[in-house]
Amino acid sequence: MAFRLHRRTFLRGAGGVAIGLPVLECMLDDHGTAYAGGTPIPSRFAIVFAGQALGGDGYGKTENRVAGMSFDEGGHFIAPPETGSGYTLTTPLQPVADLVDDFSIVSNMRIPWNAGSVDGAAVPMGGAFRDFHGGGCSPLLSGTRSTSPSFTANGITSDQVMAGVNPGSLYDSLVLRVQPSWYLAGSSYSGRQYISYSGANQPVEAQVSPQNAFNSLFGSFTPDNGEDVARLDFELRSRRSVLDLINRKRDGVLGKLGAADRIRLEQHFDELRDLEMRIGAIDPGDLPACSLPTDPGPDPEIGGDNAGAGSADIGTNTGYSEEDLRASVMVDLVHMAFICDLVRVATLQITTFQSHMNVWQVSNDIGLPIRADLHEVGHNGDADNRGQIVVSTMLGWHVGIWGKLVRRLKETTEGAGTALDNCAIVFMPEAGHGLQLNDGVSLNATHSVEEMVQLTAGRAGGLRPGRHIDTAGAHPVQNLISAMQATGFDGDTLGEVSGNIPELFEA
Amino acid sequence: MVMGLGTAGCYRGSVGSDGDGTDSATGGSDDASDGEVEEPPQDVELVLESMSRRMSQAELDNTLADLLTDLTRPARQFLNEDEFTPYDNDYTLQGVSRTYVESMEMMAIDVASRLVDDPARRDLVVPCAPTSPGDELCFRQFIESFGRLALRRPLTAEEVDAYVALQSYATEDNPAVDNDFYTAVKLVVQAIIQDPEFLYRLEVGTPTTEPGVFQLDDHELASRISYLLWGSTPDGALLDDADAGRLRDPDSRLASIERMLADPRARDQLHRYHSMWLGYRGIPHEAALVEAFDRETSALIDRVVFDEQSSYLELFTASETYVDDFLADHYGYDRPAGGEGWVAYGSDRAGILSHGSVLAAFSKFTDTSPTQRGIFISERLQCMPIPTPPPTVNADIPPGNPDDPTACKEDRYLAHQEIASCAACHSLMDPIGMGLENYDIGGVFRTTDEGKPDCTISGQGELPGVGAFSGPRELSERLMESGQLERCVAEQYLSYASGRALGAGEGPAIDHLFQGFADAGYDFRQMMLLYAADEVFGYRREPGT
Repeated sequence: MAFRLHRRTFLRGAGGVAIGLPVLECMLDDHGTAYAGGTPIPSRFAIVFAGQALGGDGYGKTENRVAGMSFDEGGHFIAPPETGSGYTLTTPLQPVADLVDDFSIVSNMRIPWNAGSVDGAAVPMGGAFRDFHGGGCSPLLSGTRSTSPSFTANGITSDQVMAGVNPGSLYDSLVLRVQPSWYLAGSSYSGRQYISYSGANQPVEAQVSPQNAFNSLFGSFTPDNGEDVARLDFELRSRRSVLDLINRKRDGVLGKLGAADRIRLEQHFDELRDLEMRIGAIDPGDLPACSLPTDPGPDPEIGGDNAGAGSADIGTNTGYSEEDLRASVMVDLVHMAFICDLVRVATLQITTFQSHMNVWQVSNDIGLPIRADLHEVGHNGDADNRGQIVVSTMLGWHVGIWGKLVRRLKETTEGAGTALDNCAIVFMPEAGHGLQLNDGVSLNATHSVEEMVQLTAGRAGGLRPGRHIDTAGAHPVQNLISAMQATGFDGDTLGEVSGNIPELFEA
Repeated sequence: MVMGLGTAGCYRGSVGSDGDGTDSATGGSDDASDGEVEEPPQDVELVLESMSRRMSQAELDNTLADLLTDLTRPARQFLNEDEFTPYDNDYTLQGVSRTYVESMEMMAIDVASRLVDDPARRDLVVPCAPTSPGDELCFRQFIESFGRLALRRPLTAEEVDAYVALQSYATEDNPAVDNDFYTAVKLVVQAIIQDPEFLYRLEVGTPTTEPGVFQLDDHELASRISYLLWGSTPDGALLDDADAGRLRDPDSRLASIERMLADPRARDQLHRYHSMWLGYRGIPHEAALVEAFDRETSALIDRVVFDEQSSYLELFTASETYVDDFLADHYGYDRPAGGEGWVAYGSDRAGILSHGSVLAAFSKFTDTSPTQRGIFISERLQCMPIPTPPPTVNADIPPGNPDDPTACKEDRYLAHQEIASCAACHSLMDPIGMGLENYDIGGVFRTTDEGKPDCTISGQGELPGVGAFSGPRELSERLMESGQLERCVAEQYLSYASGRALGAGEGPAIDHLFQGFADAGYDFRQMMLLYAADEVFGYRREPGT
């Protein structure tokens, strides 16, 4: 779809607030790092999250059981033995073989924990309460220690800090999740569905529907045809009138409510007002790179339940909602939201913490069918498939989704280079693979905040990607701080963790 | 407006706040001094704290089905999944978010657009035939009738006028759009579906002389009854009852409740409640089997609660079960006469705990989990919480080595008992599950471990502190002997009705409901009636007062 330059207009919500302007090539300076007027090209920050560990319980990094056969073979743990560039590509990195010069492997990180006490009061700064799944959450996301097994963050997360530093034109941040259901009838997400927090215990609810995400980002793009323009104008005006009508009820409704209800309904009316203000035609100009993504159409069906774990009875119709397709759509949306400067900060949670998504379909497509859910892949696999290769196969699926976003940005010309030159895109798995956090003695455990690895792609702010950095025990939040600094954060601390990974910026 | 004529009964409040539902602005907690003040109910200590509740996904879908005959379950499509604790309606977890409000707008547009594109459904909602796009009379009729049904109370004249303003979109002379009368109908539907007054059941009421206790107004009460008994919006008849003040008085309210319990929606709602309570709202089986299990379990609930109105304990003691040929073959029962019907169980089975639906829930590690089943029985049927495992225990690793072909499951789970720190809790759970081990996650009887023909299952279990059992029939007997089952049934229902977990200080309210249940010979339908017709049901307590 083409867009006409002359129709570019400022976006104005009901309150007359300018909602923003897309970037135009003719406005870039010669170096492609700034607009002609001197305003820099925006930097973008994103986290792509995988709700799984890096290895299997009780299986060393060379131990594998595939199709019922056990064997020892290295090369499947995500971090290769060699550091620097030219390392051997490992199994989880196969889907991003073409991108090795565009990202760094940041390995051997750990979240501190108290080996001498399981008391919540004894957790060190930036550390983990010794119950893995919930305890690992807060320090990983916010750099703030956890003091209980609850899934929460006890401080603001990196993306929400960046949302304040570097807000986009439509949203200050985009928070998306791929896995749309918890899949277990006997329990509930209980916080496992959040990776973004605006403050302690203040989760940011993700958009889970690809269709909704598309419509909220791109539903108001100005068409190229006069009739369509008039039709869009009619639609947007009527939406604003409807919301205005509701918003006029605000004082009357709030005034009669009790104190507890008033707080909640006030928030609701605030969101309604913000929505009314946001509704306006978005004209992306004629920059070739900013274009309307394909409308994904109705969302895939949400799969049925996947109670329990890797049941031998698990079929292909339970516990899966076409996450592979949903992820693909969301990657395209994040990419184009960045390119059109609708947003500069995004999180994409592929799977929830302790995810019980049925991996059969995804793993079968990759060529190694596993009858288990993602959580069980790390612990017990299925009867015939467990250990490092199996875990790495599923990790590779997650890496591939992150890689798709990186590749899209790399393939997009921006200024004198590519959009990836202005981005920091972090891949963040939930767990490492090492000493078990809970008992403090089991080796090769999935419930581990030891030997954690993240991938950081992009060249924003002087990032120099392309190698494997063994951090010898850095806190994973130090990698996040590096990505934050690369995209405009002038601080050096997130939560209780300070300092970056200097090697990420070294030639 | 006249209300509540001739229905004094045990109603102790004054006839005040009238039935048009619009004067509740005088009843807010800040306005206690300038409005009317009611008498509190006799059992004021039984009035529990409550907040306004947002419709769950299922409640919203039921509501749209009833209001607009929209059967596409749009909330499931557009909104994020609810938290189940185990019920879907826990208002303490209903956070507000940009995602929710934005998604709701998209849902409202979708629902309203599909409605006006379907003349058959549209004409059920618009009560007149418009003569022109600007037919204001007909538009007003539609706003008044639909607005009342959707917002669950009559609209004020000012509110109607505000919606009428949207008719300008129907009459606008705009060659780019095919606007007509129904363009504005769509916008009204769109506006109401996004309205917080639609999405939340706002409860304000009138203050009483008891600080923090408010008497609900007629229409708030209608919504409370309807979402409890139907999981959906009040119908016109119930709103008529509210208009006429027939709900405030418990005696006349009873007739409305009776009518509602006779409606199929009451059955659907109770099926849904049980599926959340007993954990089988989602189970890991193929769709055909899941549907067959649902029919089996729903048939038993219907028979015990609605058709025979017998003791609810028959849910646990029934000697026969409802199957079709497919399900009979699955279990290995004799096929029913005529392809579908009731068949007798074998000797070790009885009631709902023998159903594949319930036996499929709470599995783990590729198989049934004696531990998870024990937690289920203890927490959901005895209302005895099991402590969470200590941090050093990794509950994600099965006991022993399941891959060892000589390690039988009962022996592996016995390992829990040999370590003192494990035994303290596992002795409360595992022995229960062990007594159900002969029943696999499809509810099929088995004699040996999965894939281990040399591992014979003893199937011997124990309900801690009560006695030994083997199989669902004896487990049900032990549960009834425990004296905990019946009160727990009342407690679970009260928790669901309250939209949150009950606190330690709320025992008297549980006891009150349980006593009514017991006095009614454990007739569950009677318990629902007593609860909703109770005087205290018409009141709320402001949190923190």
